[in-house]
Amino acid sequence: MSETGQLPAGFELLEPFVEAWAIGGTANRAARRSTSTPNEREAFFTAAGPVLDTALDYLDGRSLDAFSPADQRLMNLMLSLAHIALAVEIQGPDETKSAPWRDRMQISRSSADQARHA
Amino acid sequence: MNATSTFQRIPQEDLAWLGTDPIPAEAYYDPAYFERERRAVFLKSWIHVAHACELPAAGSFIRRDLEFANASLLIIRGRDGRIRAFHNVCPHRGTQLVEEAEGRQTKFSCPYHMWTFGTDGALISAPDFEAFHLDKQDCSLPQVALGECGGMLFVNFDPAAQPLREWLGEYVDQLEKMPVARATAFSEYTYEIAANWKLTYDNFQENYHLRFIHPRSGGAGIGGDNQFGYPASMGFSGPHRTQRIWSNPAPELKPFQRAASMRGVQALAKRGLLDLPYGRDYLAFFPNLFIIGTPTQPFSHTVYPIAADRSRGVVRVYWAGEEANSSERFAREYSLAQIRDIHAEDIAMIERGQRGLASGALSHIHFQTMEALCRHLYVAVDERVRAYVLSVGEAA
Repeated sequence: MSETGQLPAGFELLEPFVEAWAIGGTANRAARRSTSTPNEREAFFTAAGPVLDTALDYLDGRSLDAFSPADQRLMNLMLSLAHIALAVEIQGPDETKSAPWRDRMQISRSSADQARHA
Repeated sequence: MNATSTFQRIPQEDLAWLGTDPIPAEAYYDPAYFERERRAVFLKSWIHVAHACELPAAGSFIRRDLEFANASLLIIRGRDGRIRAFHNVCPHRGTQLVEEAEGRQTKFSCPYHMWTFGTDGALISAPDFEAFHLDKQDCSLPQVALGECGGMLFVNFDPAAQPLREWLGEYVDQLEKMPVARATAFSEYTYEIAANWKLTYDNFQENYHLRFIHPRSGGAGIGGDNQFGYPASMGFSGPHRTQRIWSNPAPELKPFQRAASMRGVQALAKRGLLDLPYGRDYLAFFPNLFIIGTPTQPFSHTVYPIAADRSRGVVRVYWAGEEANSSERFAREYSLAQIRDIHAEDIAMIERGQRGLASGALSHIHFQTMEALCRHLYVAVDERVRAYVLSVGEAA
């Protein structure tokens, strides 16, 4: 299992979400939120939401500039979760309606991106 | 009284000095009024353009294009550590020097004829310069006044402008103690909107709309005996103004929202950023900037005018120090996405307002007492527009 795993050991539950949600770049994550379906968002939030603290505790034990590719994928999953949690938990039924307005707010800089390019 | 009964509404009579008359609607859509505003307000005021953290080292530069002045500015940190603003214009024949949005270099050469300038804007060399009948010291990049306060950089196109700190007045101390003054980095999003700059800016100066436009995203700011989320206090100083955002004693937070906040709060506590003063304060600097001191989401919002019915908004959330760990990285991402969601909800209403006003159907609009900050902005703008009209003898 772990030989083909794309995430650190212990996070196998999130493997099915790597392809869709382990996304680099804040603007890309925000864009993915807007193109995703309600079912995709719901499934990701249901699976990843309860893992937030475990995942961040694990990642906090590692230096940000010494991530393995698997660590980086887990980080990117959690960063996508930040966007998707807002869609599912806060916006709820308004998410589809608000997406086009939100897309007009173009993210030109983010903390995560700056660190990556530093 | 019950435990959540904490809200004291600001008495009407405290704000009566601002007047109660309806406000002429044309100020929000008429191109002629906009043109007077551009000259009387925007070309005569200190306008926020950048943050000092964007220019970390000698030779760091940014280019800022400002539609209201039809200008491109080149803002450079010199070898002497000073930050200066220049028109991005070669004094030879006007060619724009720099196309890059930002970078770092020791000198700036015009691609057309290779006139080359130092980080202080002085002409270093120009090929075959002897063939001009000029002195080099008369060929520096044209400078624009630049000032800094609390890390925030402002420019002023008026050569006779009063010093920045004098202009900012009594709110200087507050600004210098806000998180923005400690920022070393920021996240940013920008938007274009089909609406007047005041109509856009005013949306963010009143909470009257919160419960209708942000029933889900703005829930934490409304509640108990303050169903509109009105401010706890307001203050006015010259053309600037402030309000203290009401602290909801029992904010309704969703489970994930709470977990996400906790991740950020721990990092902020370690940095000593949770107990800064002015954490609930909103500072509005005339004409088009406001800054919020909320520790988890300290942000600035600037609305740049483009035309009577078009504006550009820039929102920046400020961060002190590099991300210490993944929790802080996550918290910053969540914080940015959260405030962006809220602002996105406003855009539709603002554009709807502009379309309504542009029809000319209304001669006046109305501000209630709890929209006093909007009224104060109009009063400050209109005073300047009137003085300008008198000074140039233009038909009003």
